[in-house]
Order: sequence, then structure tokens, then C-alpha cells
Amino acid sequence: MVKLAMRQIAAAVFLLPMFVSVHAADMTKVVRDVFPAAETGFDPAASNDTYSATINQAIFDTLYTYDYLARPSKIAPLAAEALPVITDNGKTYTIKLRHGIQFATDPAFGGKKRELVAEDVVYSLKRLADPKLRSPWVFLVEGKFVGLDEEIAAAKQGAKFDYDKKLPGLEAVDKYTLKLRLKDTDYNLPYVLAHTPTGIVAREVIEKYGESDGRAMSNPVGSGPYKLAQWVRSSKIVLEANPDFRGFTWDFTSKDPADQKVIAQMKGKKMPQVGRIEVSIIEEDQARWLAFQNRELDTMNMEGPLAPQALDGDKIKPELAAKGIRLDRIVDPEISYVYWNLQDPVVGGLTKDKIALRRAMAMSYNVEQDIKVIRNGQAVAAAYPIPPGVVGHVPDWKSGVKYDPAGANALLDKFGYKKGVDGFRTNPDGKPLVVTLFSRPDSLGRQQDELWKSAMDGIGVRMDVHKDKFAELLKLEKQCKVMSRPAAWIADYPDGDNFMQLLYGPNTGASNGGCARIPEYDALYARTTKMPPGPERDKLYQEMTRIAEAYAPWRLTISRYRNQLLQARVEGYKRHPILRSHWQYLDVAPNAK
Amino acid sequence: MAPTMLGVVLLVFLLFNWVGGDPAYVLAGKISNQEQIDNIRRQLGVDQPYYVQLWIFIKQILTADFGASWSTNESVSHILATRLGPSLTVLIPLLILVTFIAVGLALAVAYVRGSLTDRMVMIVCTVGLSISILVYIIVFQYVFAYKLGWFPVQGWGNDFWENLIKYASLPILIGLTVSIAPSLRLYRTFILDEINQDYVRTARAKGVGENRIMWIHVLRNASIPIITHIMAELPGLLLGSFLIERFFSIPGIGREVILAVERSDFPVIKAITVYVAFATIITNLLADLMYKAVDPRVQLK
Repeated sequence: MVKLAMRQIAAAVFLLPMFVSVHAADMTKVVRDVFPAAETGFDPAASNDTYSATINQAIFDTLYTYDYLARPSKIAPLAAEALPVITDNGKTYTIKLRHGIQFATDPAFGGKKRELVAEDVVYSLKRLADPKLRSPWVFLVEGKFVGLDEEIAAAKQGAKFDYDKKLPGLEAVDKYTLKLRLKDTDYNLPYVLAHTPTGIVAREVIEKYGESDGRAMSNPVGSGPYKLAQWVRSSKIVLEANPDFRGFTWDFTSKDPADQKVIAQMKGKKMPQVGRIEVSIIEEDQARWLAFQNRELDTMNMEGPLAPQALDGDKIKPELAAKGIRLDRIVDPEISYVYWNLQDPVVGGLTKDKIALRRAMAMSYNVEQDIKVIRNGQAVAAAYPIPPGVVGHVPDWKSGVKYDPAGANALLDKFGYKKGVDGFRTNPDGKPLVVTLFSRPDSLGRQQDELWKSAMDGIGVRMDVHKDKFAELLKLEKQCKVMSRPAAWIADYPDGDNFMQLLYGPNTGASNGGCARIPEYDALYARTTKMPPGPERDKLYQEMTRIAEAYAPWRLTISRYRNQLLQARVEGYKRHPILRSHWQYLDVAPNAK
Repeated sequence: MAPTMLGVVLLVFLLFNWVGGDPAYVLAGKISNQEQIDNIRRQLGVDQPYYVQLWIFIKQILTADFGASWSTNESVSHILATRLGPSLTVLIPLLILVTFIAVGLALAVAYVRGSLTDRMVMIVCTVGLSISILVYIIVFQYVFAYKLGWFPVQGWGNDFWENLIKYASLPILIGLTVSIAPSLRLYRTFILDEINQDYVRTARAKGVGENRIMWIHVLRNASIPIITHIMAELPGLLLGSFLIERFFSIPGIGREVILAVERSDFPVIKAITVYVAFATIITNLLADLMYKAVDPRVQLK
């Protein structure tokens, strides 16, 4: 008995330095963050909101991630050992996994250590396709991997999704090697494999904690830097450093002078440094802002309505700067726009008079006014469909669509949209012309209605507003029954394809809300999907952008700033346009409040 | 009871299907096709004919099993069980304090009715009543939590006493400020009705002390409308506190209802509505029993 105890003590003493060396996090270092809306749950395949995804990114590994400092975003291996070997014209990906990645200790593993292996990746990707799970991310895998669509079809017919069946498109060659075979050339697959929904889960965990529909929203067990320590739903989420995490050294590099301070603070540190993350969910702007000023929070994002409280233009107010509060500011990888339905009898079609009508409406809208009045100055005009921070963005693009009400009026006059005695125009055939803007019944929607109404009045086009709930707007949109609507798109992955696909005809009923079908555009887009990122593809994107400007299926409006405020104690922060979870890259002073 | 519940069920069902929106389009995600949306509708059961959906709803009420949230997959019973505690941590002390303070003040001002004090108190009450709860929340949170630092701006912990003393104090203070004025005015009226009764004059003629007259004779007779008012307010308070819960990050029922409405989360909306209707019926029943306790002349038939 004594011998056994001595052996256990000896083993513990022997193992202790190993754990310490791996687990660099200091549990007295706490970062207090905030979400402005509630999370839904922590199953990577099922979560469908930004805030759950942020937590998932801290808990689960994906095969790939992004270099923390590189701009535009640059893909980097995470659970994978290196970037994939791409063969067969972008149809076959061979990926080697790092050895020794461990899932966090959990009863689902029966008291044993559990290494992350290639079969886990295959299982996690298959889960996205299981109809029972009704993953909102099925589009990431459907139509992509050889053999997977047949499984989806069989499951939709009532058969149980067969996770054990070997699929040629998703093959675990050995414990640490994956071979992914695609139906078509796709050079964007690494971005999909860096996306949070492809977070790698263990089958035992899902089978132990999964609900009847196969989702496991409450018991996330991953191999990432943090694990869920406490969760008061819609109120508080506490993460603690995962003692089984392999750790990494902060050795990111950048030539940007603005990054040198962060590099000097962090270089060479074992990560993660922060042992505990406390995330509060505070929906109300005032409560969030007061809590931050009261130092109950270490970091918070200042959205448009709050921004004037902390910012003078693009600078932080002096009284806040005096307290050591810093601002980290980027343009979000997103575009806002208003689309016109190209299948609508009033504003749709590719005839010259309809194109003229749409172009005139596009020219009537004052984007600078939008930025000033609606966005409190916290946005930039979007000229190119691919926003800053995304591969393919053209910073100095000269758009062919400009605010020009006089030109818009002249264009409408030229194409026979005559003004009546009431000051409003009729169609060229003399019938009444009424354009309907569909929008949400919230304050942003109302402000947009007013600006668009003012723009339309300026060119003599009568405008009605149709108010509806978001779900109903989506329903009508998918049926091509929305004449025009303000919309926005934020990058799922930092590649131009994610934005250029918004006008692709076959995506009607999915992401092409305006039901655009422009043959020249579609032909070029189909070509770009076979090409890797690079100057050749960028040239086609520019041609497509000119086509879109000519046919005017939409009016690009703005891209918002993301203003992150940081207390003085937070070190190592640099906002990444795609990565949501930054905690594993930060450091703070211990025991500080 | 059964007709009331049936009315509530029909109303909730009709309202949700009429104005609730189809949740499948939101749950389907950013890029989805009709086939995926149909799959979600099938799994949620919203593709069924209305009479089938209504029958499922009735069965859920009878079995007290409302399934799981469409957004989070959390069981509805777990949602209610975990959100009720924080709401009650604020509401029970608030209700007790409001009742005692409002009744005490009402007795005092009724006793000096017509005096300058009475008029001043009524003016203050009228002004207080005219201000929205939102203003109280914003001002109190700014002054007492941020400027003076007497309370945390927001938060909620794991320990009951920590929550009650540290996090619930300011919300209770706001609740008191908002609730005392209307309660005081109402209770004063109830008490004034009694003060002018013959039995009070008789008691005075017999030499009974003023304290005994007010606290025993008058209060006991004024209790029935006071109990009616308190019991009628109880279920509404549970949901009506959503603003306080949102501003102070209290994970309560009111906040959950707003979240469920924002997410078109029908199972949660259904369950909370039915339970609140049920609670209303129960509190009415309790009120009847309390009438009997405070006034033996009341007969329960």
C-alpha cells in the first residue's frame, strides 16, 4: 500500500513539470469580455451565431487558422501539420495532422487521454452533412466531397446517416493523414477547414452528450486552448485554460510599424497566458459602456450608436486615453448594399430601360449621408464588392456608380420615365411606377427607409416601404418576391469568392437575394471558381465588378468600422478580420481588477 | 379554469402562427436552399396542418413537456427552472418591501388626509408615476453604480446571498422607486374608504387608540382590495421585469421571453405563456383563500 502511494507520488512529481511546461496559463490572469447578444450553444456544427462561434473557436481546433498579424488574412496550420498538398487541379487535398494533440480530459473518454486523429476530422465534417442535425453550415460540404451527397440523399429519405461508411471524398488514410477528394476544383477549401463550424469534435463526446437530434450544444469538449468552466445561459460564460492544450509560442511577425509594439510585448511568450476568460452578455448599450468605464470589462466593441461616446472621429477621446484606454480599429470584412430583384417586373430585367432605372436609383443614394447620419461616421464607403482585409480587395477602385441625382434624373428622362404633375415619374409605357423597399421594423430599418425615400423623391420615383419580420423577409427573398432590400454580408472566409458569389445566378434562393442572373457575370464567375487566388483571378473579379456596375443589380453602400476598446492592462491585442477569439493571443497583468 | 386555459392556448397559437414568422428561414443559416428549409420545418413540426400543431400544443400542456428550444436545444423545463430563481431573487424582496412600505405610508398619509404632508406625498407620487421605468433604470445605473460606485453596473453570480446583496440591490431599489408611488396612491384610497366607515367612529367613541384603529381595524378591512392588487400584479411582475433584467444582465424569465420572441422560439414562448396563465389562475385562487383568512365574513362556495 505504502509502495503504491510512493509510486503515485513519484509519478505525480515526475509528471508535474511536463504539465507546467505545457500549461503556461496563469489562472490569476483574467480577461473580462462582453457580448452584446446571447449565445445559443457550443456545438460547432450546429451553432449559428457570432458569439457562440467565438467561444467555439477558443474551445475547438480546426485544421487551419489564420496568422494573427498577417494582412490580408493568411491561412496557417492549426491541427494540421502544414498547409495541404493540393493535387489533381485542386480536386485532391492531402493533409497531415500534428501528432500528440489531446482533447480536454472528459468523462466521455473513460478516464483516458484521447488524441485527436484523422477519423475525428472525417467525423466532424460528416456531421455538417447529417440532415438530422440540420446544420446551418451544410453548404460548406454539400456538393463538395465525392460520395457525400449520396449519403445526404439517403439520409433525407429516412435512412440513418451512416458515419461508419467509408467515403472516397473523406478518407482517413492513417491516424494522421487525411485525403479529401472534391467533385470540382476548389482552391478555397483551406478557408472552409479554418472556419469554426469545421471545429473538430470527438465522436464519444457527441454520443455521450448529444441530444435526440444529434446536437451537443451544452458540453463542448475540444482540443483548443480553453475549456468551458461555467455557463449561465444568456448571462455569463467562463472559460478556463485547457490543461491538456499543447500550447504555442507567440512568434508572429509583421512589417507593419503599428504591430511592433504588440510584437515587443508578446514575442517569445508561452501561450495562452490568460488562465480565465469571463464573458458577460450585456444587451443594453448603456450597461455595456458603463461596465467598461467602471473597469468591470477589459475589452468591448463600440458599435455605431455608442461610438460617439468614446471617439472623436477616428481617435479615442483624450479623457479616455488619459486612463490608458486604447482603440483598435479595422474596417470589418463586410459590405452593406441595397439590391434590386432582377426577376421583378418593375425593377428587374436586363433591358436598357430597366437597367437605366436601377442605375438612376443607385446614383440617387448619398452614401456619405448614410455614413454620417445612420452610422455615426463609423463606416467607409464601399466601392468594390470585396471589402478590405479580404483577398481580392482593390483599395483604390474607382467605382462607376457615384452619387449624382442630376445625372440620375437625366438618365430617367432619356429612357422615357416621364414626370407627372404630381412630380412622380411613370414607366415608359405610361403605367404608374412604384418601387417597394422591404425592410425590418427596427431603428436601423426606419433610418434606411427615410434616406432611401429622400433619394427616390429626389429623382421623382414613388417609393413604398414594406415592413416585415426578418424571418418573413428571408422567406420572401428566397422566393424572389422582394423588390428591393437593404442587406449586408460579412466574410465567412477572407477570399473574394465569398463576396463575388452573391450575384451568381445559380445561387438564387440561397445567397443571391436579388435573384440576379446576368449571363456575362455568371460565365466569368464560373471560370473564377476553377482558379487559385492570384492576379489572373483578380482581373476577372474586376471585370465582373464592372459588369455589376453596368447592370446595377445592387448599390454598394458601406463597410463598417469595428472599434475595439481595450483597458490599459490588456497586451497583445490586434483585431483580426476573420478570427473571432483573440484570448489565446493576449496577456494581462495578474490579479488586476 | 379550463375555459381560461383553452382561451390562452388558442390566443397564443393564433398569434404565433399569424405574426410569429417562420423560424426555419432564420435557423437555416446564411446560405440555404428550399430543401434544407423544408427539412428544418419538418423537424420542428411546423409543416404539419394547424390542427395537428394545436393538438401537439395541448398534449404538451397536459404532459408539462414543451420539448426543447428551437434555437438552443435546451429543454424548456430547464430554461424555466434556471431562469425562475434569478427573477424571484429580485421580485420576492421587492414585493415584500413594496407592500410593507406602501401600506405603511398609505396608512400614514391617510391618517393625515387633506394635510400639506398628504398633498405633498401625492404630488411626489404623481410625478414619480409619470416617469418611465426606463428613465429610472438609466439614471440610477449611471448615478449609483457608475458615478458613486455603490453597486456593480451589472452582473450575476452563483451564490444566492452574493446575488441578493451585491447584484439585486440596485434593481430592487429601482423596482421600489417605480412601484411605491402607484401602490401608495391606490392603498391610500382603499384605506380612506375604510376610515370614514361607522365602525371606525364607533371604535374611537369606545376609546380605542388610534394605532389600533389604523393598524388593526382599518388595515384589516382594507386588506381585501390590497390583496387583490398584490396577487393580480404577481404574474405580470415576473415578465414585466424584463427591462431591469436586460440592463443588469440578470438571467431571469423576463429577459428569456424577449430573447425567445426575438428568435421566434415558439416552444419557450408557449411554455412561459401557459405557465404565466396558470400562475394567474393560481394566484387568484390564493387571493380568494386569503380573503377568507383576513375577513371571516367572506364565504368560499
